[in-house]
Amino acid sequence: MNELDTIAAISTPPGEGGIGIIRISGEDAAQIGALILRHPSGRKITSWPERQVRLGLVMSPEGKFIDEVLYFLFRKGRSYTGEELLEIQGHGGYQNLKKILNSAIKAGARLAEPGEFTKRAFLNGRLDLAQAEAVIDLIRAQTDLAHQVALTQLRGELSTVIQRLENSLFEILVPIEAALDYPEDEIPDLEREQVAQRITALCLQLEELLAQAAQGVILREAASVVLAGRPNVGKSSLLNSLLGEERVIVTPIPGTTRDFVAETIDLDGIPVRLIDTAGLRESEDLVEKAGVERTREIIKEAHLILVVLDAGEELTAAEEEMIANTKHKPLIILNKTDLPTVLSVKELKDKFPDYQVLSVSAKTGDGLAALKEAIREALIGRRDFEEHPVLVTRLRHKEALEEALANLQSVAKGLSQQQSEDLLAVDLRAALEALGRITGRSVSEEIIDRIFSQFCLGK
Amino acid sequence: MRKYFDVAVIGAGHAGCEAANAVAKMGFKTLLLTLNYNNIAFMPCNPSIGGPGKSHLIREIDALGGIIGRNTDLAHIQMRALNTKKGPAVRALRAQTDKHLYQETMRKYLEKQPLIMMRQGEVTALQRTKDLWRLFLNTGVSYEAAAVIIATGTFLRGKVHIGSLSYTSGPQGQHPSLALAENLEAQGIKFKRFKTGSPARVRKRSIDFSKMIEQPGDRLAHGFSHWLPWQPRAPVSCWLTYTNERTHQIIRDNLHLAPLYSGAITGIGTRYCPSIEGKVADFPQRERHQVFIEPEGLNTDEMYVAGLSTSLPEAIQDEFMRTVPGLENVEIVRPGYAIEYDVVSPEQLLRSLQLRDCPGLFSAGQINGTSGYEEAAAQGLIAGINAGRYLSGEEAFVLGRNEAYIGVMIDDLITKENYEPYRIMTSRAEYRLSLRQENADLRLTDYGYKLKLITEQEYEAFLQKKARIQEKLAFLQENYLTPDSREAQLLQEETGVNLQQKTSLQQVLKMPEIKLPLLWRIFNKEASPGEEDEVVENMIKYQGYLEREEKMAQRLLKTEAKKIPATFDYTAVPNLSAEAREKLSKFRPETLGQAGRISGVSPADLTAILIWMTRNNQP
Ligand SMILES: Nc1nc2c(ncn2[C@@H]2O[C@H](COP(=O)(O)OP(=O)(O)O)[C@@H](O)[C@H]2O)c(=O)[nH]1
Ligand SMILES: [Mg+2]
Repeated sequence: MNELDTIAAISTPPGEGGIGIIRISGEDAAQIGALILRHPSGRKITSWPERQVRLGLVMSPEGKFIDEVLYFLFRKGRSYTGEELLEIQGHGGYQNLKKILNSAIKAGARLAEPGEFTKRAFLNGRLDLAQAEAVIDLIRAQTDLAHQVALTQLRGELSTVIQRLENSLFEILVPIEAALDYPEDEIPDLEREQVAQRITALCLQLEELLAQAAQGVILREAASVVLAGRPNVGKSSLLNSLLGEERVIVTPIPGTTRDFVAETIDLDGIPVRLIDTAGLRESEDLVEKAGVERTREIIKEAHLILVVLDAGEELTAAEEEMIANTKHKPLIILNKTDLPTVLSVKELKDKFPDYQVLSVSAKTGDGLAALKEAIREALIGRRDFEEHPVLVTRLRHKEALEEALANLQSVAKGLSQQQSEDLLAVDLRAALEALGRITGRSVSEEIIDRIFSQFCLGK
Repeated sequence: MRKYFDVAVIGAGHAGCEAANAVAKMGFKTLLLTLNYNNIAFMPCNPSIGGPGKSHLIREIDALGGIIGRNTDLAHIQMRALNTKKGPAVRALRAQTDKHLYQETMRKYLEKQPLIMMRQGEVTALQRTKDLWRLFLNTGVSYEAAAVIIATGTFLRGKVHIGSLSYTSGPQGQHPSLALAENLEAQGIKFKRFKTGSPARVRKRSIDFSKMIEQPGDRLAHGFSHWLPWQPRAPVSCWLTYTNERTHQIIRDNLHLAPLYSGAITGIGTRYCPSIEGKVADFPQRERHQVFIEPEGLNTDEMYVAGLSTSLPEAIQDEFMRTVPGLENVEIVRPGYAIEYDVVSPEQLLRSLQLRDCPGLFSAGQINGTSGYEEAAAQGLIAGINAGRYLSGEEAFVLGRNEAYIGVMIDDLITKENYEPYRIMTSRAEYRLSLRQENADLRLTDYGYKLKLITEQEYEAFLQKKARIQEKLAFLQENYLTPDSREAQLLQEETGVNLQQKTSLQQVLKMPEIKLPLLWRIFNKEASPGEEDEVVENMIKYQGYLEREEKMAQRLLKTEAKKIPATFDYTAVPNLSAEAREKLSKFRPETLGQAGRISGVSPADLTAILIWMTRNNQP
């Protein structure tokens, strides 16, 4: 119910590929836009002609270039939500869109709740009732789902860690609050130095959690699996077969897949984003060159690489190098095994004894089931996931942690500046409330309960 | 004999007196009924008024034109400033009063109000006839009133417990009110049972004060009231001593005799005023508990033993008190006791404090499930104001959580299950930095004036104060310190702060080590009387935090502005969760904001309500 906030979200579903849209809606939309957008020349943007598509650059609040985008502004009363709304079209990579969204949030937008855009649209008279009711069902479903997720997480690692943080904060806040409301009772004085040390330790923990989030390992949002290989080996065909439908343009002309295309599939409960790349081929074509660049980056951020080979052709030196030099051990996929072959599984296994080699045909579907199983295994059974569990997997959580951290930094500063207890309490409370958005804990009730269970107060 | 009044107030305790005063000031003919004319504004518990949160309430009541603040100032025998070093939000006053003087001052004040007719009489029944309420007294007399405020405190079916002894009674041996409770219940009003308690009163000359720590009062520049010239009294001391292991042993050995533990008491007690047996049982690791000896007045030998509230048998009370240093030879004047009483189940209340299904019938004070004189007085004021507005057909006067502790309290009362008598605390206020006791008049006096509770003369003084504050803020904004100036040098000498560049005084004041009086001294300006400098300093020093709260408040206001019709049918809304539907049907919130504060109601539920409401408004 924060209809005064300006909200932001990625509004293209994952897997749409090509371009992706970020929407920012609310009173401050243009103001936030001015903070994160620049003219292609790098100048600040001062005028916002309505509904005119413009080319611009998205920058992080620290001034780092993120993406070249198209943007346009709808004035209040003219947009889908009925509010001032800024639409930014960026390149479709999920990580890229997330960076843009992050900038908007850092510039003052709040991450939208599920269905919140539609809710605003309805409240501003932009939707009819039937549409709105469909939306409320959706919101219900999503929040129930979110609730379920929260419940699962309650047992999970993230919430254990955050609950521990919360408890530490309550331990600091409760004696302060108790002393504020009961100045004549026997409550130990605030030990500023000791508390400052504890706050610093908590800040470190939060920073660590955030650093993990920043690595961009977004398990819950979907693991990314990249199909790599020379042009024409059948990557796009393989992607389509795995999806079970024709989504990616398949042509016999090498280099048709110019940018990368991503689709999300569900591998027995693990969301997997399959990313089809442009062939790693030196090209004079500029657009494709850009695609190749981005491919390298995608490969760097991926959880798993599938190196696709054409069974009808000899292994090239470039392919050998790709297999050997990819960070995580890739799966080697020998495709087009329905045709006469010159390259065999045995040959590959001899060459790469530590690698898994799978033989498939994108055309007939042979070997696809085994391939899916292998992908699943590779993702779940990965040791580094087990040893370094990825705790912060949702942008919402990350945002909450960032807010908590900022509040605690303010507490630390306040402690050193001899700030009064009532102000320290404000920031401590705000930090707890931010964490409460992850764990669902209600702060104010718990403070009072803890005050009276911990201290014997009142006459 | 049948007489008409605009408003009848049943009970002349802290809620009733405040209610009658408000109604009369608004120009309505008021009947104020008390069970005993000797006991107007009686303080059955400790002789102390104020403290964090409570002090805030008093200042707010006073800023709106209420009387508890002025009466406390006139009857105080000690005043203390609390939390002076913990920040502006929690600074508070606490007064020790002379109970008898407090009552007398209040009675005389009310007697002087031409529109108030105050008399003794027990109301045994209320009856609604057309647009009027008829009140029947036990003597056969009856009155008619257009609105009625029930402010009966702990008297409704009051039952006192001391050990195994129990009897129906009001507090401190007063007559209970039994028939009225039956009558109200028969009309469908739902009650629950709460419990509270009081310690023994002891004879002053039986106490050895040499074994206790003296607690003198503070010399303060102001009291509670914004309007009354402050006249400090020569302070009378309180005394601090402690229980010890022997005290606790006696209590533990006799716990089974305490009605709270023997099962004789079914009413729910509060964590906020625990009995000593409760403290000993719940906190076994504590080696001692504080005991404050407070005078009940200047002209009495009775002393109040704060901290030893108990309903153990009198002999045990006597025994354990004698283990406390200074109380070895203590003589009990009145034993401590517990009292159970009826309270109105909160879901029946509207924000105006009117009972939902009874037009013109209001309730205020302890009967609404609160504890404390201040909480009672605040409700009395609001019920009084809203009875008046009901009579003139105006919309209810409601204070937001962002405007006043009064708003926080009433909102809490009507949106939360009350499991125990409610006490105001500063930690209940989300906007704690904005709701300071020193800015209560800036927050509320405009309302008080519009409601006719503040006189022209008072309002004029208020406007002048406001102008002076504005002037000072402007001065601090418009004047600068330049590094090499004489003023900057003075500043450095006094504080060590070395300015590098031209800085506005406002910025300078934001530095933690700079206080406003210093700046006035440097600029040869006079410090203001009373709390004006405090207001100015807080507004500047805490600007960032205050702006943050203001932003939060703006959001709150949006949801508060969305009213839910009284007849709204939650069972008809398809997308509500079962829990939300049950809670909402019970509490029947008046605004969407309130609905959101009911536990178990999620944002998705609020959206469902909004959509349903919009649909039903569509032609
Ligand atoms: N017979 C056969 N043809 C295939 C298979 N996989 C891909 N192709 C064909 O190979 C050509 C290139 O496929 P494409 O998916 O565009 O390759 P990409 O450049 O790696 O994306 C197309 O003509 C496909 O029909 C396969 O398993 N068997
Ligand atoms: Mg392709």
